[in-house]
Amino acid sequence: MTSQHKKDSIAALANRLRWNIGDNFHDKLTEGIYADAADIASRAVHQQGEPRNATMDSKIDSIVTSKTWGFPIMIGILAVILWLTIEGANVPSGLLFNLLIDTMYPILKGFSSQLGIAWWIDGLLIDGVYLALAWVIAVMLPPMAIFFPLFTLLEDFGYLPRVAFNMDALFKKSGAHGKQALTMSMGFGCNAAGVIATRIIDSPRERLIAIITNNFSLCNGRWPTQILIAVIFIGVLVPDSMSGLVASASVISIALLGIGFMFLTSLGLSKTVLKGEVSTFTLELPPYRPPRVWQTIYTSLIDRTLIVLWRAIVFAAPAGAVIWLVSNIEIADISIANHLIEWLNPFGLFIGLNGVILLAYIVAIPANEIVIPTILMLTVANLKMAGLGEGSGVMFELDSAMETSNILSAGGWTLLTGVNLMLFSLLHNPCSTTIYTIYKETKSWKWTTVASILPVIMGFVVTFLVAQVWRLFL
Amino acid sequence: MNQAAINLIVFAALVAIIWLVSKLILSRNILHSKEQKHKTLTEDILKQLFHVQQSNRIATISNLSGALKIRKAKILPMVVQMTKAGLIETVDDTILLTEEGKAYGLKIIRIHRLWEKYLAEKTGYKAAEWHYLAEKMEHQLNEKEILELSDTLGNPLFDPHGDPIPTQEGDIAPVEWIPLPTYPLNMPGKIAHIEDEPGVIYQQILAKRILVGSHIKVISSNKNEIIISSEGQKHIFSPIVAANISIVPLSKNEAYEERAERLSSLQENQWAEVLGISKECRGANRRRLLDLGILQGTKIKVDLASPLRDPIAYRVRNTSIALRNSLADLILIKKLNADENT
Amino acid sequence: MKTHSEEACTDCTFHNTEGLKKLGVNTSEVDFVVALAGNPNTGKSTVFNALTGLRQHTGNWPGKTVLRAEGGYSYGSKKYKLIDLPGTYSLLSTSEDEEVARNFILFGKPDVTVIVVDAARLERNLNLVLQVLEITNNAVICLNLLDEAKRHKITVDERALARDLGVPVVGTVARTQEGIPALLNTISKVAQGEIICKPHRVKSLSKPIEESVNELTKKIEVQFPGLPNSRWVAFRLLEGDQRITNAITTNELSELIDV
Repeated sequence: MTSQHKKDSIAALANRLRWNIGDNFHDKLTEGIYADAADIASRAVHQQGEPRNATMDSKIDSIVTSKTWGFPIMIGILAVILWLTIEGANVPSGLLFNLLIDTMYPILKGFSSQLGIAWWIDGLLIDGVYLALAWVIAVMLPPMAIFFPLFTLLEDFGYLPRVAFNMDALFKKSGAHGKQALTMSMGFGCNAAGVIATRIIDSPRERLIAIITNNFSLCNGRWPTQILIAVIFIGVLVPDSMSGLVASASVISIALLGIGFMFLTSLGLSKTVLKGEVSTFTLELPPYRPPRVWQTIYTSLIDRTLIVLWRAIVFAAPAGAVIWLVSNIEIADISIANHLIEWLNPFGLFIGLNGVILLAYIVAIPANEIVIPTILMLTVANLKMAGLGEGSGVMFELDSAMETSNILSAGGWTLLTGVNLMLFSLLHNPCSTTIYTIYKETKSWKWTTVASILPVIMGFVVTFLVAQVWRLFL
Repeated sequence: MNQAAINLIVFAALVAIIWLVSKLILSRNILHSKEQKHKTLTEDILKQLFHVQQSNRIATISNLSGALKIRKAKILPMVVQMTKAGLIETVDDTILLTEEGKAYGLKIIRIHRLWEKYLAEKTGYKAAEWHYLAEKMEHQLNEKEILELSDTLGNPLFDPHGDPIPTQEGDIAPVEWIPLPTYPLNMPGKIAHIEDEPGVIYQQILAKRILVGSHIKVISSNKNEIIISSEGQKHIFSPIVAANISIVPLSKNEAYEERAERLSSLQENQWAEVLGISKECRGANRRRLLDLGILQGTKIKVDLASPLRDPIAYRVRNTSIALRNSLADLILIKKLNADENT
Repeated sequence: MKTHSEEACTDCTFHNTEGLKKLGVNTSEVDFVVALAGNPNTGKSTVFNALTGLRQHTGNWPGKTVLRAEGGYSYGSKKYKLIDLPGTYSLLSTSEDEEVARNFILFGKPDVTVIVVDAARLERNLNLVLQVLEITNNAVICLNLLDEAKRHKITVDERALARDLGVPVVGTVARTQEGIPALLNTISKVAQGEIICKPHRVKSLSKPIEESVNELTKKIEVQFPGLPNSRWVAFRLLEGDQRITNAITTNELSELIDV
């Protein structure tokens, strides 16, 4: 008998039998298995007295999921984690900066000039590749090394499922899963990590929504940009005593706007392309378990921080080379960068940005962290400002916000440019690390493209509208 | 005028045009060929004729035109062509299906109901959308695809509304339904069928979260209203709405559970026993509940309510499982008294 | 369950090398392949780490390991490859996790499948255990979280459980390594055939189901004599599992027959 015959005869019998037993085979089989399970368990399990620890769990639960305290506790914890991350990262970031850029970079430069290495090799490798790597490490590593362990401790303790439980009612309204509250929060740390974290969502439709909308969480790499621009452009609008507060408030508004866009996009996706996909929701609330602090810190450093950092480094190295090359290769006596800036400028200005910003977002796709230094370098190079910056293709940042502000004003920036840059920093394509991660998680070019293109389109539309309305009334 | 204002107007116009064009393409089937449209109309007429003959009424061109909402002038040439094709015959003014036409009509009904079953089992479309989607799909599947569809669904006998699905050979299971308005008082029965046309009435029934398979008793019935009790709740229907709900008496091995209620109605600090999962809980959701051990006889209680009271976590087999209220609605329970909970 | 004292089969491996290769597992330079199954939240990943010394992240979360994690260890003079399957409540449904776990145990034919269960929630965990025991004969129950069960004043009679399930049961507290040496030892004994399992097969099926399953199982056994899990295959066919239906024609099922 051939294998085809075997298949046909067995399949035919299966079909006939299926017809006989009706459409509830799965129900009956599960009932049978559970009946055996109950039988076996009753013989093996002995309960002595009342369980004690369960009351402890339910006490914690009655507080963290209560009507009064549920949401405040949750928002409080997230705020504290973000504050610790942003504030706490300053010191180690400064140290790394000192080491890698202020100390190592001149040493490397001196070393290469002593060896007499050709200027373009030196430029490409040290000014381009090394500087981009150093920048990404200095700015990216400390916040992640703080954020991930803190988040992981909450995860190990068992608090995070309660957050999903509390938030589900809100997320359900936009067709999403309560666990998206967690992947979204993770996105405030790093979008690539947020995308990986969507694995906890067991319904494929909701998981896809969480992946596509994770980019609307303002990630660590974008907070510094937001804060700098808010201080320079919005903080100065009010008296000095108020400026810090107003600048912070405007950054928080941008983050909240991001959450708004996340809900809107989730709703939009569920009503259009994902309409009709099966949706399931069951959520186990596991018992609280004391986290093992040291192991958690160790493992979260290894499998979240370092993996994400490694991916960022892999992408940042070639980007550093590209940034240097476009600034140093000249066509008709003008660098490629300046050609591109001129070419992008009309569209940039039309939507209330400029050519420098657009080019910076194109070449700095590996990491949002290097957007501001790239912008500064391109602005100075474009204006041929003497005595400022480090030379063409060399990213830099300035110690004082005033100096930065002067450069940007010279580059023609207005309050509108600042506001739109903040909006565009929220609404643009994910960084290449995140795009790559989205592809690895979805295994689909289609969804990777949607997740990458959709935010840029939204960014263009929003900055366009803001610019036109601005010009209409101001 | 200001350049910015012009830009905004141009943008608004662009958005409006894109929106209109997409709307047009979706609704008018502009992309369909002439043959496709002809086929669709033929099949719609056959299906309508089949329904009319089933209910022992008479079909004429004018009432066909009324039922299908198509001008007579458009139907007339169709009738001529279909007669030539041997699908129908006309006696005086009456239009009758030939054997061939009847088989064709049955095939269309088979696809329609199979597709509704598919939508219910394998997708997340809402019940109110099934009919509209199946209306489109019934004109698109070929013989091989129908067989594959039927196979993957396990060759079902009934569609999600309770209608029998014609078999490949054209057999159709007989049904003995009693319309709700004429169903006797206090006789345990179960909902066998909910008609999905017209949509307005179907929406009203869906809004009450009445489910096919639910056990009911009619408490009172008069020409103004019909009151039924089902799963711990009372529902009041007008006779027009009630006419679209059909009931069958319970068979001998189906026990009417007087105390049946929905899990969503369970209060805190109260134990209950699961009686079963409603037939309307399908596909992945049903499997998930079963896998978690929520099945007939399982003891269950409210463990924790979330701040917005949806979802609610239930304690099942010593584990806390959160379910959304919409899913808890589909789990039938019997509340246990203090002495039953041992 | 019988214990063979003589060194019956120390060198013979059981796993399906071809099938494993298709599943992306490299078995060269490995003596035995061990699969790790279990419900979410049973500390499965902690057991994985305790066995391999790897530091895989373990979260207090359902569905943590979606991608399969691999690790290795040596015990005695043998090399073991440990595959961490996704944590699932069942193997009967259509979710991706369950498909991965179920196809691995069926088509990969690991030498031993370790099922991690939560001692405080045994009944619910047995659902998965009984399903795994339908697929494979070579299983070890890792009765984990004994400390938590103790706090809940729950004790589990390991001997009664082992007798009822027909496979060895090892109590552990993986967080503190308690019971891990015994688990390693038991895995090696099952792998080398020193312990022969006689797993429990589900009994409480309703009559029409039982009859249909038996009829189909007989038919499958006629076509594929010696197939160790013909009843499971019958279950899957009655569920309409396309993957298994196709396996009949592609000879994948014939490969599973014990030589």
